[in-house]
Amino acid sequence: MRILFQVLLVPVSFFGLFSCGTSTTEQTFDSSKLTRIGQEEVEKVIEAFIMAEDSSTIEIPAGFYELNTQLILDNKTAIKIKGAGMDQTVLSFRNLKSGGEGVKIVGKNITVEDLSIEDAPGDGIKAQHTDGITFRRINVTWTNGDKSKNGTYAIYPVQCKNVMIDECIASHSKDAGIYVGQSENIVVKNSLAFGNVAGIEIENSDNAEVYGNTARDNSGGILVFNLPGLPKSDGKGTKIYDNDIIDNNHENFATPLGEGPNGNTVTMIPPGSGIVLLAAKEVEIYNNRIFRNKTSGVAIASYQITGFPAEAPNWSPYTVGVYVHDNTYERNKLSTPDLSRELGQLVSVHNAYGPGKTQDIIYDGIWDKEISEKIDSNPMRICIQEQGIEDLHFTRFYLMDGEENIESFKDYQLFQNCKVAVTTDITSLAGL
Amino acid sequence: MVKTSLKLGVGSIALIVALFTSCQKNEEKAIPESRALAEEVANGIFPYRRLSTYAFFKGELKNLTPSDSLVFYKPASSLFTDYALKSRFLLIPEGQKAQIKGAELELPIGSVLIKNFFYPIDFRNPEGERRIIETRLLIHEEKGWQAYPYLWNEEQSDAILKVVGAETEVKFIDFSGKEQIINYLVPNKNQCKSCHNKSEQLAPIGVKIQHLNHVLDYGTVKENQLAHLAGLEKLEGFLGESSHPAMINYEDMAQTLEDRAMAYLDINCSHCHSSEGPASTSGLFLTYDQRDPMKLGINKAPVAAGKGSGSFQFDVVPGQADKSILTYRMNSTEVGVAMPEIGRTTVHQEGVELIRQWINSLESKK
Repeated sequence: MRILFQVLLVPVSFFGLFSCGTSTTEQTFDSSKLTRIGQEEVEKVIEAFIMAEDSSTIEIPAGFYELNTQLILDNKTAIKIKGAGMDQTVLSFRNLKSGGEGVKIVGKNITVEDLSIEDAPGDGIKAQHTDGITFRRINVTWTNGDKSKNGTYAIYPVQCKNVMIDECIASHSKDAGIYVGQSENIVVKNSLAFGNVAGIEIENSDNAEVYGNTARDNSGGILVFNLPGLPKSDGKGTKIYDNDIIDNNHENFATPLGEGPNGNTVTMIPPGSGIVLLAAKEVEIYNNRIFRNKTSGVAIASYQITGFPAEAPNWSPYTVGVYVHDNTYERNKLSTPDLSRELGQLVSVHNAYGPGKTQDIIYDGIWDKEISEKIDSNPMRICIQEQGIEDLHFTRFYLMDGEENIESFKDYQLFQNCKVAVTTDITSLAGL
Repeated sequence: MVKTSLKLGVGSIALIVALFTSCQKNEEKAIPESRALAEEVANGIFPYRRLSTYAFFKGELKNLTPSDSLVFYKPASSLFTDYALKSRFLLIPEGQKAQIKGAELELPIGSVLIKNFFYPIDFRNPEGERRIIETRLLIHEEKGWQAYPYLWNEEQSDAILKVVGAETEVKFIDFSGKEQIINYLVPNKNQCKSCHNKSEQLAPIGVKIQHLNHVLDYGTVKENQLAHLAGLEKLEGFLGESSHPAMINYEDMAQTLEDRAMAYLDINCSHCHSSEGPASTSGLFLTYDQRDPMKLGINKAPVAAGKGSGSFQFDVVPGQADKSILTYRMNSTEVGVAMPEIGRTTVHQEGVELIRQWINSLESKK
């Protein structure tokens, strides 16, 4: 196994010089073998969504459903949408001619379970303004060989309350596989995200726990972001624990190969990123296995690093209040950090351990000078207490004097004597 | 009192169940076309399966000659829907009135908005032969506004309720004499709310004070539409044209570029892109009175735009329309890129050009 690994890696790393990363189109099952459902039965499903009565179940029997219009559940309460199993009921939106997402949900106490959604041109399944939304055992993916044609988010609750994502699979999205935006009270657990640009992303959200998941083969594994200028301006309180965050070395295909980043923040994520915090507030990261992510295991960054305007009402660009402890790390000695994105180049060239060295933890070292003149007092409350940290690659950068004066330090000691208490409360999700 | 109502309970429940079931049946029958074509009586339980059952129009249905209870209306600017022409009518129940309350125009229960979508065979002769594609009804029911799309048949003799949406090919000769083919998409019932959405309640778009506060040619008379409604005793609270906000027609070249651009963005985008619309998630708010540069998208990075961002960084780059996501998405027909998300499969060249000019003009104001 070990030998095979090395034999494979040599050509991969050569190839890597040109392609800047790996790529996968892996599918968990072959939906082409399922029975094609006739148009009349497909229309029955569309009608069932439109005519749904509160407190009812929409059952979608096994088969492959080709939809040319959106499935929209509008302002309904206590509805369960249930397939015959992820590998049995497949809703394909390959022929969708208009609409931002395949399935759209608005309502209260909605559950979607045991089905797959394929090839939506925009987002796979979106829930908005929904209090109580559960996604359980759903698989959302794209089957295009050319991943540049894939859609944006696979599983996409936004402006929701009490969000449960359990035992789901999200793959091959051009942005985030599981993306929770502008929401509160969130659990993402026991799910798998692979082959996406971002595996799991919590954005401008409050009170989230992300645990028991596997995020592998994405460009970035798990992301916590706060972006400026949104109705939900700044989110806080996320715990990330007991996850496998491994081999997130996929090329960043959010923009076409050879094209640089655009205005979507995720296009800047360097392949090889395990966890990335950007303008995040109060995040605890513990008991995760963070293995073989070629650029960095955990990246702690402020929004200024994007180069975009970093001012907005009720929002701060800094990452503040982070507690990283008791994770295990593994660096692949044969791989080198990404060179396709500026953040990858920064790590590759300027890290404190020598050019081309993978880092376990990086901190951009951008702090708010209104709080403290110097970083020595740890003004942003970044707390790192890892076992055997002396053997890890920790780099703090100094980026506040322009590109010509970038410095880097191994001074993890500055961030050890600290205490950051992150509190989350997911009791409101107990019934979901 | 309590006892009486308890006694009545069983009977009234049965009555409610009966009403409920009949309503259900009505909706179910609406779907398969063969059954939908059966004769239908106007029993007052909406929606009807056939447009003709409502008796909105006199004589041959396809002439769309309004009955006396309908009032013709036209918003100052029109939402682009694949170059379709539209005729719009408002029905306010006999003896009732719409009310202007602050900035809101409230229509009584029972009001109906009727919008017909049609294409002239030749746009150089818009009054000539035409094909009507669909008629959309917004009916103000007890439980709020409801949207019902009706698809016209080939013979143009009637239109049938089609809640699951439809697709149809439309051919016409455009203004320059070129033949055009459009794959016209009739939205499914719930897609209507993708645009007609105010805080997750279905809501009219064009029937707002600012869209109707202008002079309209009624054929016999030219009059401000709100004044016209007031004169018909269908509207209360109208204090004269200058007392209420008014939108301009973005096609009116006499207006300033900025005002025309804002009018265009308002009628085409703001039903989603406002703090009360489904695109509030984006932080991009395109109402005509928006003045905050960031909310207008100026040097604002996108949030969840995905491939809609193309190779660009900001929604609006002052002076550089060709580097702005706004024009990029307006200029695309690719699902997932194209904006608005529904309602168009072609590019509105004139609209794109207007917004391009506006963005390019922004440089000097930096």
